[in-house]
Amino acid sequence: MIHVILITFLITLFYMAIANRMLTYIKILAFQGLLLFVIVFIQLNEINTINLILILLETIVFKSLAVPIFLNFILKRNKITREAEPFVPNFVSLIITTVIIVFTILLVNSINDPYLDKIFFIVALSTLFTGVYIIVSRRKILTHVMGYLVIENGVFILSLAVGSEMTMLVNIGIMLDIFVSVLVLGIFMNRIGNTFEEMSVDNLTNLKD
Amino acid sequence: MLSLILIVLASIFFTGIIIRTKSIASGRKGPGILQPIKDVIRLFKKGAVYSNTTSFVFQIAPTIYFASVVMAMLMVPFGQSKGLISFNGDFIFFAYVLALGKFFSIIGAMDTGSSFEGMGASREALYSMFAEPAFFVLMGSFALLTGHTSFQEIFSTLHIGSYLSYALATLATFVLVMLAMIENSRMPIDDPKTHLELTMIHEVMILDNCGFDLGLILSAGYIKFAIYGALIINLFIGMVPYEYAIAAFFVIQILMAISIGLIESFIARFRMSHNTQFIFTLTSVSLLIFFGVLMILGKIV
Repeated sequence: MIHVILITFLITLFYMAIANRMLTYIKILAFQGLLLFVIVFIQLNEINTINLILILLETIVFKSLAVPIFLNFILKRNKITREAEPFVPNFVSLIITTVIIVFTILLVNSINDPYLDKIFFIVALSTLFTGVYIIVSRRKILTHVMGYLVIENGVFILSLAVGSEMTMLVNIGIMLDIFVSVLVLGIFMNRIGNTFEEMSVDNLTNLKD
Repeated sequence: MLSLILIVLASIFFTGIIIRTKSIASGRKGPGILQPIKDVIRLFKKGAVYSNTTSFVFQIAPTIYFASVVMAMLMVPFGQSKGLISFNGDFIFFAYVLALGKFFSIIGAMDTGSSFEGMGASREALYSMFAEPAFFVLMGSFALLTGHTSFQEIFSTLHIGSYLSYALATLATFVLVMLAMIENSRMPIDDPKTHLELTMIHEVMILDNCGFDLGLILSAGYIKFAIYGALIINLFIGMVPYEYAIAAFFVIQILMAISIGLIESFIARFRMSHNTQFIFTLTSVSLLIFFGVLMILGKIV
């Protein structure tokens, strides 16, 4: 069962590589949050109530509800165009994502560590790399936030890869990261949106002190 | 032998069901389910008119296209019973005999000298080129999983046991359905309803064919759909006894036809430039299947 969900997670990465509209990205992020909750719920053997509530808060409430709604709000408020506008064609993105995943599988396969759950490690690493790739290949600031969120999802799975226990400290750290990044960048973007019309990374290069 | 009869039976009603579903979904009554076959019979009674600019290639192309599809049909097994032709590595032959037919339909289209048909032919070639790795990676991983290399042996030894193999079978079904849509130029890739030359793929290639040749091409299309349906069904009916398997065959074919009709009714055609990336997605998914198979075999991770 856990493998099925992990494979689904990888397929969402493919979908993200070829997605055209900002709304699709947001939907994929929400879906990934849901998948993460199911993964944790199946994977963790012994789980105390506080920890479960924390994870529930993090995955379902934050990743699947709060962040997508907030990003959607930013999209609407700043009248950002619907298309994602990547630097490279989506087709190239898809090939690169595929190469990333195949490369990760080959890389992880060469590791000999009995304490490491390799399937989790594969999914975690490829999610991390794909997140980085999404950040460098997309033009809008909002897509950068989304790439960052994908990286966070990767870190989340990575913490599952190294042990069957989810430490609360890691959880709180990830939660803080998401909260700060989305909130700060969201407010930042609202501010920019009040001043400039178009919001792309290219404008940042024109900034002078 | 059994698979041959079943596929021919399925191909008779398959396209009719798709058209009927689309009619009902758009609020019309629609033609009867056997209407496509009646059309083909009417076309078979007619002669053919050939343009003066075409050569013999244009005249033999539809026949070879039809023959290649029939050849491919002979190779599809049904559960335990073999197809009429069955040998080691026949899935490679299957793919390439279909490719041969496609090649002839492409050069037949080029032979007319019409710019639109050349354009459609180039698109068809491009999409088949991208669809081919998906099919080979998929069948290759199943061959690896079962340790056999012919359709019948692969499908009859394919056991669906753990959750992982359920996931792989689902993914394989997805890939095969999408391949069927690409091979037959149906909705997400190509819209059979539109008759704007600039956006057509398969329809524009057969603009100059008429009469008997058109009938051959149309009936080859119907058979192709049923072939892919039979391949999908084969994934699931390895050891099932015949009486259930035959019932399952028709149920799944009808369900597939209805779902294709619904997809065509409610989804818009992709932009031309997005088609290649969509088709390449199939290859990516097949690669996931490949690694999943390696995982089952314990060769990796």
